[in-house]
Amino acid sequence: MGIITVIWEKWVEFRRDFYKITVAAMISPLMYLVIFGMGIQTTSHGEPYLHFLIPGVVAMATMTGSFSAIAQNMSVQRLYEKALDQVMVSPTPLWQFIVGQLIGGSLRGMYAGGIILLLTLPIRTGLTFNALSVLIMFLNGMVFSTIALVLSFLAKSYTDAPRFTSYIIMPMSFLCNTFFSTEQMPNGFRQIISLLPLSQASAMIRAIANAEPVGFFGFGVLAAYLVVFGAISVWFIYRKKNL
Amino acid sequence: MIELKGLTKRFGDFTAVDGLDLRVETGEFFGLLGPNGAGKTTTISMLSTVLLPSSGEILIDGQRLDRKASAQKRKLSVITQEYSMRQDMNMDEVMEYQGRLYFMPKKEIRRRADELLDFAGLIDYRKRTVRHLSGGMKRKLMICRALLIEPEILLLDEPTAGMDALSRRQMWSLLRSLNGRKMTIILTTHYMEEAQALCDRVALMSKGRLQKLDTPEALIDELGAFTVDETVDETLKSRYFHRREDAIAYLEDAGNQASLRATTLEDVFVECAGGRLSRS
Repeated sequence: MGIITVIWEKWVEFRRDFYKITVAAMISPLMYLVIFGMGIQTTSHGEPYLHFLIPGVVAMATMTGSFSAIAQNMSVQRLYEKALDQVMVSPTPLWQFIVGQLIGGSLRGMYAGGIILLLTLPIRTGLTFNALSVLIMFLNGMVFSTIALVLSFLAKSYTDAPRFTSYIIMPMSFLCNTFFSTEQMPNGFRQIISLLPLSQASAMIRAIANAEPVGFFGFGVLAAYLVVFGAISVWFIYRKKNL
Repeated sequence: MIELKGLTKRFGDFTAVDGLDLRVETGEFFGLLGPNGAGKTTTISMLSTVLLPSSGEILIDGQRLDRKASAQKRKLSVITQEYSMRQDMNMDEVMEYQGRLYFMPKKEIRRRADELLDFAGLIDYRKRTVRHLSGGMKRKLMICRALLIEPEILLLDEPTAGMDALSRRQMWSLLRSLNGRKMTIILTTHYMEEAQALCDRVALMSKGRLQKLDTPEALIDELGAFTVDETVDETLKSRYFHRREDAIAYLEDAGNQASLRATTLEDVFVECAGGRLSRS
């Protein structure tokens, strides 16, 4: 019940800011696709680079959509509007509030990823996107929503949200299997990068797109992030002395 | 019944609330008074579980209040000092969000919201977003939101701050009528006449500690029911007397720079905040 309330709140926000959210979700992924995929015409593993790029950009859009939906919103609600107080004092179990945030954030990420899929549909790349791709997008969105939640609980000022984007989202966008394969990276660095959630989400969506088998390792990595950051969020909301 | 037992809140080296022991009876109108930084808002924040105590506990009807205590939280509603609302929601959405958080049926939310917004004179602005409301309208909306769930306990942190005199008086009658229906009310306010007019008992806090706890009348009697204000060296000084005759005798000696009046809770507050209460 509490979960539905939070999703309803996210829906109210989405309905009101539909155009702003849609445009914001489109601009940077579209730029990357146009500049790297269409402007600089090149190939990767003998295939047009665009075929490599699209699954990565879809994963990236899911990440940024989910992260920004939660990080900005929660920081403002907690530190500026103090609207989180309304939730804290209510009888809604706080774990349900957390789960609602994760689902709501993930749906926003999927919306951003879905827009990219729709926009690239006319290109006829022959790439495959199926229910499993959708599940990976959802899981990826949940992971970045929960990371955003933890960071917004740690934020000291609502201006911290853009900083989190610069520290976390920007580096991951460029490093994690989005624009180039992590296989070419130096040893050690490659292993670290491959353990980041976006690397796994990109790799799995790309594998499905190319009709290649998807291993369970990627799901395991995403699930591990979700469990760890989910547990930290729940701990914070129940135990943090000065929320 | 609400019990605060040894309630303490520390922020690093600073102790905002220091071992507060209080008991508020069911249906009581209780005032929490004190100068800025006395720890009133911190106490309300702990009662609303936004802040967790460093030590001590809060019991509601004998059950410990914490963030997991849904049954206790269901009884509570808070009107905070700040406008703690989603600024981008309209009034209907604010009310619906509140109702949903308290698991109210949608029909009931609608009915109560219509009733309250109408009562508060906000019904014509129900589609206006919070950020486009005036300060007074936001304050009224927060009251409507708090009352939507028909709480047993209402926590009010400076509820009339920024309200004009008429709205404040309307608020007083509303609070009196709610208290008349056995709602327990805990109020913090800077307006002493408000506390004197409304509260059954008041607690005077200073530097996080409880200084005085009694009915407004008893606190006034303790200080002296009669006050002589006199201007000495261009400074206004007040002297308090238990007997009218003593006050009049002093007034006659003091000359025309002095006047007699009834002591108010504000006098008690000023003396207490200035640490001079025992001297009087």
